[in-house]
Amino acid sequence: MVDSKQQWKAWIYLAPAIVLLLVFTVWPIINTVIMAFQNDYNAMAAVGGQTFTIGIENFKRAVEYRNFLTCLKNTALLCVITVPASTLLALLISAALNSIGPLKKALTTVFFLPYVTNSIAIGMVFAAMFNMVRTVRVVQTAGIINNVIMFFGGEPINWINAGSTYWANMTVMIIYIIWNALPFKILILLGGMQSINKQYYDAAKVDGSSRSRILWRITVPLLSPMIAYVVITGFIGGFKEYTSIVGVFGETMGPVSDKGRLNTMVGYIYDTLPRSDYGRASAAALILFGIILVVTLINLWVSKKRVHY
Amino acid sequence: MKLVLENITKVFPNRNKGEEDVVAVNNFSFEIPDGKLVGLLGPSGCGKSTTLYMICGLQKPSGGKIFFGEEDVTNLPPEHRGVGLVFQNYALYPHMTVRQNILYPLQNLKGDDKLSKEEMLKRTLEVAKLVQIDNLLDRKPSELSGGQQQRVAIARALVKMPRVLLLDEPLSNLDARLRLQTREEIRRIQKETGITTVFVTHDQEEAMSISDMIVVMKLGIVQQIGQPQRVYDDPANLFVAKFLGTPPINVLKGEVRGGMLFIGEEAILPVKGVADQPVTVGIRPEGFVLDERGPLHCQLSGVEVMGRDVSVVATHEASLNPVIRSIISAESGVDTTAQEIRYSLKPHKVLLFHAETEERIPVEV
Amino acid sequence: MASVTMKEQDMRSVTARSRAGSVLAKGMTYLFLMVMALIVLFPFYWMINSSLKTLAEYRLSVPTFWPKTVIWSNYAEAFTTARLGQLFLNTLLVGVVSTLLSLVITVLSAFAFARLEFKGKNVMFGALLATMMIPGELFTITNYRTVNDFGWLNTYTVLIVPFLVSVCYIYLLRQNFLQIPNELYLAAKVDGTSDFKYLWTVMIPLSLPTLISITILKMMGAWNSYIWPRLVANDAAHQMVTNGLRNAFKDAAGDQTNYPVQMAAVALVSFPLFLVYIFLRKYIMKGVSRSGIKG
Repeated sequence: MVDSKQQWKAWIYLAPAIVLLLVFTVWPIINTVIMAFQNDYNAMAAVGGQTFTIGIENFKRAVEYRNFLTCLKNTALLCVITVPASTLLALLISAALNSIGPLKKALTTVFFLPYVTNSIAIGMVFAAMFNMVRTVRVVQTAGIINNVIMFFGGEPINWINAGSTYWANMTVMIIYIIWNALPFKILILLGGMQSINKQYYDAAKVDGSSRSRILWRITVPLLSPMIAYVVITGFIGGFKEYTSIVGVFGETMGPVSDKGRLNTMVGYIYDTLPRSDYGRASAAALILFGIILVVTLINLWVSKKRVHY
Repeated sequence: MKLVLENITKVFPNRNKGEEDVVAVNNFSFEIPDGKLVGLLGPSGCGKSTTLYMICGLQKPSGGKIFFGEEDVTNLPPEHRGVGLVFQNYALYPHMTVRQNILYPLQNLKGDDKLSKEEMLKRTLEVAKLVQIDNLLDRKPSELSGGQQQRVAIARALVKMPRVLLLDEPLSNLDARLRLQTREEIRRIQKETGITTVFVTHDQEEAMSISDMIVVMKLGIVQQIGQPQRVYDDPANLFVAKFLGTPPINVLKGEVRGGMLFIGEEAILPVKGVADQPVTVGIRPEGFVLDERGPLHCQLSGVEVMGRDVSVVATHEASLNPVIRSIISAESGVDTTAQEIRYSLKPHKVLLFHAETEERIPVEV
Repeated sequence: MASVTMKEQDMRSVTARSRAGSVLAKGMTYLFLMVMALIVLFPFYWMINSSLKTLAEYRLSVPTFWPKTVIWSNYAEAFTTARLGQLFLNTLLVGVVSTLLSLVITVLSAFAFARLEFKGKNVMFGALLATMMIPGELFTITNYRTVNDFGWLNTYTVLIVPFLVSVCYIYLLRQNFLQIPNELYLAAKVDGTSDFKYLWTVMIPLSLPTLISITILKMMGAWNSYIWPRLVANDAAHQMVTNGLRNAFKDAAGDQTNYPVQMAAVALVSFPLFLVYIFLRKYIMKGVSRSGIKG
């Protein structure tokens, strides 16, 4: 049924998408590679007709740039901590949700709520919750989180204000990122659990297996493709972490006393743009792509060994 | 409207490179007189649906011509042919009511054919009355039974007053009881409208029961065309003989020597005008007569009671099938305890086929 | 007889014990879920609670869990301080236009991939899916330059055009289109329906739930977008709501910030999302779980 009329008609239907993709997706991929491998590429000079030697100078400059390692460390730490933690928590919540009758729908609705929020806006709420307000040297309000800590007899902690420690900052970010990452994972995992054949559970009950045994021996293995999926997408998203930090700390990417302390890879790339140093920005973007690719491949490799279908 | 297919061939290029192309329909010619109901019959993969789609215009023949009356429609797109097509799964639009479904083809008419809104609604109601669904017009397809959906599909195909009506496996999605009822219904509608109708089926009983003419196909090649009873009585080859009739024809190895048909060493029937040769013998189940002195000795293995008739199951070493099944009147009194059963045969129910080509060997009467 | 009774008693106590165990487990499950639900909801509660307090009450060393006097004027102040009216209008304009255009492009492409036959279809579709693996940051550098060269900086165009094509949604809709039986298409062909009319009268109505999901997710995307608008259109006239909000309260953790007003602004930005969630939750969850769009 393929006739020539359908041929050109198909291309007309696709034309808008193709044109836009060529300009804003395909060309950028090519151009990024071109810019990254031209030593000391500079947009202004390029327009002026200057040519550049081919090489990996940009990658060297990107790595040697003062805050590159900080950004890489922050990104990697946040990933390595938040992805497993949020996956585990999402798994427990999903399993709990899946096992109850009444209130299941209402609770599912509550747990998905953070998904539809604006991560900058809610980041500002988290900042308010952890913020200490001081006038001169007297603490006026320590923030609700510190209030809770003090209620249980603890010492208030300077979480995000000037003079706070790196790990205090990171703790806030970890809590916020996990809070933010839960709904997507719960949605996927709960959906997966609901599609598991009930007969497996009936069989396990007949055998007298305990609840935790059922979770780890039946649910998790049968759910492993979904778990692999949320872990992989979690890592990909994690390496692109940026706006949640802007939400809590503002564009200073850190407490006032130590700006840029919490910057990430994506932040690094964006900070480079207004300087027109496209060579270094492109190199950094390719490095990020490379890292994501490698991490995804490792994830796939591990899941191939561990995922049971 | 007379419908003529002239040397129609359809070749599908093979998707795997280097492999041979698939010939779905090979050099198919036939003529359907105006106002007839014709069944295209064959096992799956025989090219019957492809033929239907080519008549309809959804597929273009690789060679040959199609005429509606005197008009060559080979290169006409489906909407200009004036055909109505009923799909196997009905293909009703699930989001539209029955009325909207039937109206839909009319809304596509353009130019001089364009109808006024009142005219469209009038036509819809008429055709709905014809297929007896005029009380269901505001329902959605999901609220209808399979038989009702089938009627809606037929109504939708008829509303444009097509020159030719095509039905693809119209009864296969219905349960046994509805199937009987619906095939009568199709026959009635076809008679009332007088539209030349072609339907495709793999069920020989269905085709035989309502068709004016049947076309038996196998692997893209037409085997035989004719009135159902004639094709049944006088099949062109072993395939057709085997395909038609329930229970199926019994097939045995035999030999013709000196104008006499032998099965094993038993002389069965005189066959005039047949040269000496090994043959394949087909015996219709109704061709057996219980006869204590009959020439065909079989080992009795069981009797199935079917009410008016009984089905006698027996074996014979020359049989090419595991069993020989005969249909015998219940009153003839079969001795179910006997080891052996003997038959004589009705000559016109015994068909001879060439042992290798499987073509029919005519016997002079 | 006696031994039988013994056994029965044993059995009974075992069932009783296991029933007690399962009641306890149920209770623990609910407790766990309730605690987690409270943690999830707490930031929203704290946002609303804080947004209605006076600055003085907010700064009390012992926090109050509901404002002593409810200060609705915080919302009015937030609305003017953050120029929310202007921001809402900008975002709405960008969101509506880009959603409409994006729907048209998505529907046309998905239809071509699902129903039309053309050379190179599978290769094209594969290439399209492959672009999904590349992080968007890689495109941003060149796109920033491209829109700069086009002279689009600080226009609505720059906020709308570059992200009109979403491979994810094309994929999602194509899958949906493929579920519509091919016979419906053939039936329409026999009746002389044009491809376009078939698309409009059959495929689109049948895929309406998916199209609604795409619409909502796309609108939410515009509402929550931050990085790209900050780069290319951060001027007052074109600023989007998230950027405006962040810029209006630059000093996130400062000592002098009027937190109640800031929380009121945050709440105002969040409420439209809550409304959409309450009424269209089904579509959001379906769209997200099918397309795997994360954040």
